[in-house]
Amino acid sequence: MSYLPCGTYFESYADDQKWWRTNFIKGKMIFMVLLLVAAPYIVGSQWLSVFYTINYYILAALGVQLLIGYCGQITLGHAAFVAVGGYTSAMMVLFLPWPQFMVDAGLVYPISIVCAGFTAGLWSVLFGLPSARVKGFYLIMTTMAAQWITLRLVITQLSKIGGREQSFPLPPGVIKIGPWVIDSDDKIYYFSVILVLICLIAMGNLLRSKMGRAWIAIRDNDIAAETMGVNIVVYKLLAFFVAGFFAGIAGAFWISALFFVSPENYEWFYSLLWVGIILIGGVGSIQGIVFGSAFVVMVFKLLEMSVLSLSDVLMVSYPEWGWVTTKIIFFKESAFGLAIIFFLIYEPNGLSYRYWQIKNYFNLWPFSYTGK
Amino acid sequence: MSKRIFLFSLVLALACSMAYAAEEISVGSINDLTGATSDVGKDAALGVRECVAYINDSGGINGKKIKLRLFDYGYRVPEAITIYKRFRDQDKIKLLMQWGTGDTEALSPTVNKDKMVTISDSMSGHLCDPAKTPYNFVYSTDYSTGARGCLTGWYENVWKKSDKWKSAREAGKKPKLVCFYMFASPYASAPIKAIKDQAALLGIEVARDQDVSLTALDAKSQVLAAKEDEANVVWHGNTAMSVATAIKDSYALKFDADNLTNLWGLDKNLVRLTGKAGEGAIFPAPCAFVEDEVPYMDKVREYCKKINPGVPMDKRDVHTSQGWLKVSLAAAGLKIADKKGNLDGPSVKAALESLKDWYPFDTKNALGVGPFTITDKDHRPTPVVSLYRIKDGKIVLFEKINMKEKFPEQWAKWLGW
Repeated sequence: MSYLPCGTYFESYADDQKWWRTNFIKGKMIFMVLLLVAAPYIVGSQWLSVFYTINYYILAALGVQLLIGYCGQITLGHAAFVAVGGYTSAMMVLFLPWPQFMVDAGLVYPISIVCAGFTAGLWSVLFGLPSARVKGFYLIMTTMAAQWITLRLVITQLSKIGGREQSFPLPPGVIKIGPWVIDSDDKIYYFSVILVLICLIAMGNLLRSKMGRAWIAIRDNDIAAETMGVNIVVYKLLAFFVAGFFAGIAGAFWISALFFVSPENYEWFYSLLWVGIILIGGVGSIQGIVFGSAFVVMVFKLLEMSVLSLSDVLMVSYPEWGWVTTKIIFFKESAFGLAIIFFLIYEPNGLSYRYWQIKNYFNLWPFSYTGK
Repeated sequence: MSKRIFLFSLVLALACSMAYAAEEISVGSINDLTGATSDVGKDAALGVRECVAYINDSGGINGKKIKLRLFDYGYRVPEAITIYKRFRDQDKIKLLMQWGTGDTEALSPTVNKDKMVTISDSMSGHLCDPAKTPYNFVYSTDYSTGARGCLTGWYENVWKKSDKWKSAREAGKKPKLVCFYMFASPYASAPIKAIKDQAALLGIEVARDQDVSLTALDAKSQVLAAKEDEANVVWHGNTAMSVATAIKDSYALKFDADNLTNLWGLDKNLVRLTGKAGEGAIFPAPCAFVEDEVPYMDKVREYCKKINPGVPMDKRDVHTSQGWLKVSLAAAGLKIADKKGNLDGPSVKAALESLKDWYPFDTKNALGVGPFTITDKDHRPTPVVSLYRIKDGKIVLFEKINMKEKFPEQWAKWLGW
């Protein structure tokens, strides 16, 4: 919670607990929403694809943040639950004999998104069961098992369906929400923004509820939480369910961006990436997910831009120097690892902490009301 | 006065550079230099860059230079998507060159919607049916035809003739095939359905598939399972490093089945890595090797030394010449379209579909391939499978099989899978 500007204070709990507590914050949020809406008119399609990739990572990392950052349950197999969501949604859209009126009304894909969330949530609970007994390193092993088992099942059982032996391409036009056919970058982008806003608000509200406080209590000290009457098994499993639900939504969204689903999209690298995102963004912070996702995607993007700018010069005028661009590319792969190391050493609380400090600097200037 | 001359020169130079910039054709290339298939990807990317340099040095596309944008995507589909969008919107590319099956298939709906001609290193049979993927092109025998040809070549020349399998033949045993590949990889699994279909066609039994990762460092359990199934021939669907692991483990565990690999599965690295274990392995090469004496290979070698002198020639592989083949096909399409005065997607597509009995650089047997014929009904450029084999530590031409002539009734049905 940030400090409030000088002279701003509340006289009721309801006011104190508001989402947007001052007019300035309200204005800031309205401006942000307007910016999100206007983005396709401001930037080109290539940036929209960058933005919806960031949004996909936000959706996927939400569950990781919930488990690690708010409930203290370490997970290294989150891509498995995203895969469950992606495959559930894709297979429902492609292979279920839907009545024609539902297809025409564009209800199939929205229903599949909800089903993907629930399926991934239940699948996540299954692998969350050991969390009742084990902690830390052992839990890492069980969540990693989710990764291997899920992908093995997907590859051996699901990929064979539909006659392609491997991946399902989704024909243009099948991803439809009501009359809205998702077939272009701006539509994918808007869809991702809507999902991210809904999921972030849902997560924020969950954390303000009894359930969220129980999760935080478990994270801070599970024995103390249990002595206070928190049923830690139930709440841990609930955390796994909700995290899986968000992952399912992420998976269901991603098929609309790719028009394609393949086990390759859910490799273990992504599970690590999403943990990296919350480390960079800030563990135990919703804003951290946004900052971390943006940082990771933008690092790759900026490296791409710099290498291609360099190759503009080299490839055309000095082709014999083209190898320089190839060598630089290897840095791109280590950039993510280096970023994590850098953040763990110099910014262990992540980008969200830096943002919090900046906000407080302005709020506390020159004096503030701190309630003392 | 001198100031005026200087200003005039500056304006002239600017005008010239603008005119020069207008005389460029932007081409995008998405490659894997750091990911799971970088063992073969790096060499292929070198070939792409060198061939573009050669084309630019020898007159470009009807006098216009190719401006190549080559970037690594680490074999990660999301990155390929964002790179493509940049190429399309910012760099205004006229043609896209892609690498993997996963990213090519993932981008296929998008490039078809954008009408962007794409030539991929993924020769997946799924990408050869213009009815489904009109803007996807491949530059060699597709994976499925290659796998069919490879198995057919082995069956007719090795199983039926070699002393190794004489006792099994005389005992009336049917040969048995086992597939080693990464189940999760669209690239590795692309021709599996086809090779099993071919096995049924030839009367070859099929054992349990074995999952071997593209980055495998050990395949002993898979080898033992195949040995238990008494397989006589192994189809390796992965890239060279992973295939080398499986072949070495087979040798160590005395599993003496013959080895067939996909076209990215056998190269000089594999020969180096496997030594005696790799003897007899067969694969369908897309073109000749850099050392082979075929037309235009001297240019390939010349540009290897000119553009990338830091890479020793003995480290150069068939993938370099594959890069040349890919770019030469792209250049052929661009040239025809440019001559007709239009370089948009449909024109480049029509240009590529007009290629009949085409050879790279319009020179017969250049790079050891051809002739190619691409039509608007069939994007499989050639039915000829050129099989190479490791013999005494060298990769030599084994046999060329024309699958269309050999299986005329099935050829049309095989399109697109």
